[in-house]
Amino acid sequence: MTLLKVENLKKSFKDVNAVNDITFQVNKGEIFGLLGPNGAGKSTTISIISTLLNPTKGKVFYRGEDIFKNPKAIQEKMGVVPQEIALYPTLKGYENLKFWGNLYGLKGNNLKKRIDEVADIVGLKDKLKTKVENYSGGMKRRLNIAAALLHEPEILIMDEPTVGIDPQSRNHILDTVLELNKKGMTIIYTSHYMEEVELLCTRISIMDKGQVIALGTKDELVNIIKGHKKIELTFDNIPPNLLDKLKIIEEVEEVDSKDNIIILTMKNGDMAFKDILDKVMGTESSILSIDIKKPSLEAVFLHLTGRALRD
Amino acid sequence: MLSVIKLRLLKMKQEYPVILFLTLMALGLTFIFGKSMGEYRPSVIVVDQDNTEYSQKVIEKITEENPYKFQYMNYDDAISEVEEYKSIAAIVIEEGFEDSIENKNSPKVGILKIKDDLDSITLKNALESNISRMIGDIRLSSVIVNELDKSINIENKEKTFDSTYKKISEAWKYRKPIKVTKDFIDSSGEGFDQMNHALIGFSIFFSTYTMVFGIGTILEDKQNNTWSRMLVSPVSRGKILGGTFITTYATGALQLIVLIFGGKYLFNVDWGNSTLGILTIGAAFVFAVTCFGLLLSGIVKTHQQLAAMTPVILTSTAMLGGAMWPLEIVNSKIILFLANLTPQKWAIQGMEQIVTYGKGFNVAIIPSLILLLMGSIFLSVGVFVINEK
Repeated sequence: MTLLKVENLKKSFKDVNAVNDITFQVNKGEIFGLLGPNGAGKSTTISIISTLLNPTKGKVFYRGEDIFKNPKAIQEKMGVVPQEIALYPTLKGYENLKFWGNLYGLKGNNLKKRIDEVADIVGLKDKLKTKVENYSGGMKRRLNIAAALLHEPEILIMDEPTVGIDPQSRNHILDTVLELNKKGMTIIYTSHYMEEVELLCTRISIMDKGQVIALGTKDELVNIIKGHKKIELTFDNIPPNLLDKLKIIEEVEEVDSKDNIIILTMKNGDMAFKDILDKVMGTESSILSIDIKKPSLEAVFLHLTGRALRD
Repeated sequence: MLSVIKLRLLKMKQEYPVILFLTLMALGLTFIFGKSMGEYRPSVIVVDQDNTEYSQKVIEKITEENPYKFQYMNYDDAISEVEEYKSIAAIVIEEGFEDSIENKNSPKVGILKIKDDLDSITLKNALESNISRMIGDIRLSSVIVNELDKSINIENKEKTFDSTYKKISEAWKYRKPIKVTKDFIDSSGEGFDQMNHALIGFSIFFSTYTMVFGIGTILEDKQNNTWSRMLVSPVSRGKILGGTFITTYATGALQLIVLIFGGKYLFNVDWGNSTLGILTIGAAFVFAVTCFGLLLSGIVKTHQQLAAMTPVILTSTAMLGGAMWPLEIVNSKIILFLANLTPQKWAIQGMEQIVTYGKGFNVAIIPSLILLLMGSIFLSVGVFVINEK
């Protein structure tokens, strides 16, 4: 079932098209990933979906309703975790959660119960009496998420929730996202960390320069470069003429070398191991390792744009 | 909206020392300035180079002038004292003063001063008038004694002269040739009072800070990213602004009430016959300044910018509006025109009409309406600018 539908969305700031005619849909119960480098248009897309920005063109539907017709009604169903820490540093963790809960209409015992529950989810139960300014970066990020969970939103929109934190807090957040999704929460997750999106997301939209350049499940995306698998051969010394010998193998599309490593890009799914090994065995140098590179979203992005995700 | 009000109050609870400090500062400065301005007496030095009976007499006359604080010194010390601006002027009674009077010549009295100002001009007038009167008294006493001597042959002419002179001098004290009276039209008040003006001015001046910085918390919200987060919550932008506005308004109004009643009970300031009038003007003023703060918060980008701009704007508008000194002493038409554009002017003018001139509630109506109009304009433009951003 489609929960959220983005249709031909466009957002321009003066002469810059931050988002340029994108279309996708988010199904109920899935973790939908928006992957792309900084400046790809992910945060602008999230800002429009969360009704913070009006689109220049296009529409966003939530359960079939245009979100800009009655944004306040939609906002009750959404939880937004902004990219920046959006908390009051001089207030205690508890006071922050109480305020954000109040804004969503939570009161009394129900509010206390929810504060207790979300603090438990993000692992900050024993830190609520501390002022936020005394929290570590990771703790602030977790409280930032907790504030968006108080009103039990139907859909949680997370904009780069792990930026600039330690690996431990990062793992905690990723586990939390999976746990929330397991309980039925639909999540839109934006990141420029390919590994996070790969780990978490059911379906992924890869964005670049304001456009969706690929959309699908991880397997579907990886299939785009199925025929472009890579094999890395590491030698003590690269034998002379080996590069030329490898190039003549029919299935090999490209041969490259770096230090003592030869990188082969294959034309299709056939790995042509026998031919490769024949050529290698005919040399006097000893091979140290053979590494078959599993296709990644990073490789997909590289294939589609010619640039690395972190460029 | 209630949740926003609760949040603002919670934050304000953390910042109460600042508000308390501003309130105490207003009260303290009112007391200090009110007192010191009320007791202002410039220092004047007297140098007696003649050292005669007449020179002593003239000194006695001059020092009866209450607005000055007199000190006696030699000529050289007097010059350095005036040069160092420790005294506004030195009166030098030159040698031969008594001889000149007795020989019916003009006696010489000099005034040493650095510049002509209101104080030294007043001193010169007072000196001329006193010496003229004294010489007149001496000559009159001399004529009387000589005439008496011709008809009844006075034994001790000197004693009679002294006694006559004393009586003539005494007579001036109680029977001045002209009596100037002052009356205030349609007023039961006693005229301009420095303490009253100081209290009104400082109350107005210091309360503006609380209001502008209070409403400026929306800039902190923007910096903390909590503003955007609030905007994506089910609470409307109007309610967020409304909650912030109400809290700031209430704090500003409370501070002004504390200043009004603090002045009344701590310094016995008489706030006139219409407390309702004072409170009405105060309420309209707090509205206008809170709206002005909202406009400023819309124009600037960060709380730091607001903190840098606010003292400049509030101090200059307070000066223009008459919070520092009474506008009655200002002659410049441009300044008086600009004063009309400041909320401070209307609040001070309205309050002073009640406090200083003893007028009733009716004088509060026009200033309050103007302040409400100003506030409405600031509010409309401020909300527009904030929404546009």
